Amino acid sequence: MTTGTQTATQLAASRPVVAIDPVIRQIRDLVYKVSGIYQPEEKLYLMSDGCERRIKQLKLQTPNDYWIRLTAHASRDVELRHLLNEITIGETYMFRCPPQLDALRKVILPELLADKTNQIVKRVRIWSAGCSTGEEPYTLAITMLEESHGLLKDWQVEIIATDLNDRSVETAKAGIYGDYSLRFITDTLKQKYFLPVDGKKFQVRDQVKKLISFSRLNLQDDSKVLFMKGMDIIFCCNVLIYFDGTSKTKVINHYFSNLNFGGYFFLGTSESLLKLNDKFHLVHFPGTIAYWKPSLKSGKL
Amino acid sequence: MNASLAAKIRERVERIETMPSVPTIFMPLLDLLNLPPEQTQLDDVVKLISYDNTMAAQCLRMASSPLFGLATPPKSIRSAVVTLGLRRVETILLTCCLADAFPARNWIIDPSAFWRHSLGCAMVCRKFSEKIAAKGGDGDKAYMAGLLHDIGFMVNSMIFPAEFAKAFEQACHDRVSLDQSEFAIMGFTHCETGHALAEKWRLPDDIIQVIAHHHAVENSASAQPLVALVHLSDLLCRVRGMGYGYYECQRLDLVSDPAWAILLNENRHLQEIDLARFTFELDESVGEVLEVVSDIFGSASAKSASGSRSH
Repeated sequence: MTTGTQTATQLAASRPVVAIDPVIRQIRDLVYKVSGIYQPEEKLYLMSDGCERRIKQLKLQTPNDYWIRLTAHASRDVELRHLLNEITIGETYMFRCPPQLDALRKVILPELLADKTNQIVKRVRIWSAGCSTGEEPYTLAITMLEESHGLLKDWQVEIIATDLNDRSVETAKAGIYGDYSLRFITDTLKQKYFLPVDGKKFQVRDQVKKLISFSRLNLQDDSKVLFMKGMDIIFCCNVLIYFDGTSKTKVINHYFSNLNFGGYFFLGTSESLLKLNDKFHLVHFPGTIAYWKPSLKSGKL
Repeated sequence: MNASLAAKIRERVERIETMPSVPTIFMPLLDLLNLPPEQTQLDDVVKLISYDNTMAAQCLRMASSPLFGLATPPKSIRSAVVTLGLRRVETILLTCCLADAFPARNWIIDPSAFWRHSLGCAMVCRKFSEKIAAKGGDGDKAYMAGLLHDIGFMVNSMIFPAEFAKAFEQACHDRVSLDQSEFAIMGFTHCETGHALAEKWRLPDDIIQVIAHHHAVENSASAQPLVALVHLSDLLCRVRGMGYGYYECQRLDLVSDPAWAILLNENRHLQEIDLARFTFELDESVGEVLEVVSDIFGSASAKSASGSRSH
């Protein structure tokens, strides 16, 4: 069976048989409009639970009271942020989105490398923007290393990982993870790329770390973001959902110019660009979507 | 395609008539579908459905499926027709008839994969058409077009089994689209055989255009926007887990497809579509399509796929 089908089936497996208040769907649409995060029907109960918790904390009565709080109340922006925190999983883990990695390995890399064959410096640059505690850039580095004897033989890979939060960047640099972060990594990869430390933890080996440069960066700092040039792929998962419309548009426009022609930009699994930039092409892959800056030879710019 | 090949296809397709399993109501149903909506009588449709008990039961079951999104499932044929609307009931009937006309024996393609793709595409076509239309749009016409677009595969399965089996095997092996390997091995594709069957069945002209040209929209003589809509929905299905069980399409840039420009030319609303959200909504419908496939066609593999969710 295909990956997409499995995903839908798995999602459906978690669907409890409870009627959802129509106001919850209204809130789902509002959250989408503001943040770009889409809660599918199968996961609507998660949003319902999140709203329920907020209703209790705010000592409100009904979902409709909460809808008023989210739309007509003076503190609606603050409340929306609270709700976003409720419905997005704050924690991150390695190999979180396999369809993205499949698209990267099977389609994007071969395409990019073919485009670059005539370049003197054989280099692929990936930016993990909003890398949090490092799970995403390490996942990318391991994926790239797995290709180092095949597709990427004789190629240099550079991963730039940035985050606003100093402490996250420090944790990322240390590269020490527990079971939660490593629950979806295979034993083979774990043994190959990690060293056991402190009994139950694992530290990323130097060969992986070598591929990544970590630094603190505020995505709203235009002058710094402008300098992130020559990217082939940008990952920015569940970061822009907290930005307001204007800042979001600005960052996305930066990403467009940061990317090389033919480069790709990934958002989180259920996140959308909300049509904030019409120069990117939305491209479908099995189980995931990405935004593509058309290559010069495609003539689509 | 040369004349003798076309004649060969037509001659073989003629033999489909001798198949015993075509439901009695099939031809009258096609006549009804050919009428403009305002000339279709509610009673004619109710009578047609009631004529065949199995069909009536199947039709009611399908009407209650989540795919049609009714709050309470209809209890009688008449209420099903009234609640769902004539056109929708006709497309439900058509689905049931097709399943009966082509029983899942000696199929080259896994029947559940075929129905998953056909029903999936029908669903995507309807949603797509409704999304971009100024006022509702003809979602049911789009649904019917999506449902029937690959009907030629059933013809190929039945009357060119050996050649088609080879084509299917090669397509899976090389991960190319099935029409490419059909053409390489057989010299024609499901578009030509589907076209012949559609003409024999006297399907509406726009549906014939879809069946014949959904892989090369620019060749359609009329109804180009509908053909383009089905073409794009077909591609979308094949990259989102509703294809023929293998991924021949790993990357899809809808906006760059020539069919997008054709559709855009006819329908400026296409420009406004939020493709990301549309995709999320389609993904959540994959489960519904699986449920319908298992409910209506009782395919073992579809059942096992949907059965796992109740645990």
